[in-house]
Amino acid sequence: MSAAGDANALPIGRRLRRNAGRWTLNVGAAAAFIFILLPLIFVTWLSFYQQEIPSFPPTGYSTRWYAEAAANSRFIKAFVLSVQVGFIATAIGLLLALPASIALTRFSFKGRAVINNLLLMPLVIPGIVLGIALYVFQVEAENATDLPIMGSFAGLVFGHTLLVIPWALRLICASLVGFDRTLEEAAQNLGATAITAFRKVTIPAILPGVVAGGMFGFVSSIGNLELSLFLVVPGQTTLPIAILQNLEWKIDPTIAAISVLQILIIVGAMLVTDRFVRISRVV
Amino acid sequence: MSADAPQRSAALTATTLLGPATFVAALGVIGPMLYLLRYSFNQYDPRELMIETFTLKNYQAFFTNSYFLDAYLTTLRVGLFATAVCLVFGFPLAYVLARSTSRYKNLMIIAVVVPLFVGNAVRAAGWMSFLGSRGLLSVTLMNLGITSGPTDFMYSEGTVILGIIAVNLPYMVLSLQSVLEGINRNLEEAAYSMGARPLTMFRRILLPLALPGVAAGAILTFILAMNAYATPVLLGGPSFRMMAPLVYGQFQLNNWPAAAAIAFILMLTTLLLTMVVSAITRQKFRVT
Repeated sequence: MSAAGDANALPIGRRLRRNAGRWTLNVGAAAAFIFILLPLIFVTWLSFYQQEIPSFPPTGYSTRWYAEAAANSRFIKAFVLSVQVGFIATAIGLLLALPASIALTRFSFKGRAVINNLLLMPLVIPGIVLGIALYVFQVEAENATDLPIMGSFAGLVFGHTLLVIPWALRLICASLVGFDRTLEEAAQNLGATAITAFRKVTIPAILPGVVAGGMFGFVSSIGNLELSLFLVVPGQTTLPIAILQNLEWKIDPTIAAISVLQILIIVGAMLVTDRFVRISRVV
Repeated sequence: MSADAPQRSAALTATTLLGPATFVAALGVIGPMLYLLRYSFNQYDPRELMIETFTLKNYQAFFTNSYFLDAYLTTLRVGLFATAVCLVFGFPLAYVLARSTSRYKNLMIIAVVVPLFVGNAVRAAGWMSFLGSRGLLSVTLMNLGITSGPTDFMYSEGTVILGIIAVNLPYMVLSLQSVLEGINRNLEEAAYSMGARPLTMFRRILLPLALPGVAAGAILTFILAMNAYATPVLLGGPSFRMMAPLVYGQFQLNNWPAAAAIAFILMLTTLLLTMVVSAITRQKFRVT
């Protein structure tokens, strides 16, 4: 018995009403979908305007703003800093989150939930609150140790590492939970040491989770604004801050072109991640 | 060999594995939050910047100053309104995505996820080019003869709400979609075959079952709306005030105690409302 068959047997009035409902639903869904993408579409459109002052309609289209963006040393510097911080924070975050995920999924002990929550905390505390808290902490740490902590590269990396850990932890834990441990035991029965079994059997099996965790961590580091606001010093800003500061002053096609480059990096990272894990299952 | 030796070595392994990450998180979260709390009881002084003391003045000043209170109420209003709209507009898209069997489904989900990671400033830039006095909207309205001159749609509460909705909608859609995905389709068909109209089915079957997702999505979008920074700064303009920009503003004025107190008021308000919502949802579950 098929549902479609039943629907055809319904009186015509009810069938029409059901179709109308379906249409409303689809139109509503399409509207929400477009609305989500609309700002990205507008920014991309603006980046191809010919004239510098963004008035509609454009006098023509051009790709020169991309060349302009590539030649803008302030944005290049900010971009390089963002990528450096993102890479280092992701590497450290993964190194910390991988063993932690193993402990959290394979051992049961008192306080496990507490530690789990502590590690996920940076995603829960609002960025602006954690940002100012880190700033205050750096003030105190610098006063106590006389080390140059304020506005340092290491301080920025430390803050971003806090952001990477929860993403990496969530995704690695998810893949560890789905991993069949008897495979590891089988390897050990065949003579492998615990470490070899882990390296040759477990790591390849959970690699998708590790890659996805790293990607999400990297992407959230690259796009972070609120935390970084408190951790940078003038002359050494990350890309999102450089974009914000420029927009507070004016909007032009150059900033749009830079934004499009950021969008492309994120789309690329997402498509790569999707080859390893279905995105729909991890977010 | 004692019986608890393996247990002890397991405990040692777990500690070694978990230790470094826990240390970093404790150093980066607990320490800073405690210092921030301590700072919120200090006193600001224009000459010495900060005097170490123990006073509730910063909290008191917040709730007696109309400048701060305005920002507080605006933030609550924007947060609640944006969350309600996200719920209404997010549900259809979440439902269609959850029930989709299209081979482009994953691509559609990526399209919903990508804007999440593109900074809010970038998305605000998109709205700025659309809503400015020389933007597409203003020019189209002029061409249609609806308005006679250029209209600037920027720098209003409505614009900020629009921007925040666009920022938060993906979170709502993803929260709802993950729950709807787990609801058996046959339940819907059963309701229809017994003569329920679509809206009745939605009200009596789908909504109660999706309630955990509704609560999770509403809490998440509300937290994000309350703490929005880039959107109110860029779309609301210099005279529009919400809590997160206020924290940063006080910080830039070097008034750290006030900034710390405002940060805690913001966080506690969010936490309190979140707990109320979860309590109500949990109660609803026990009743039905």
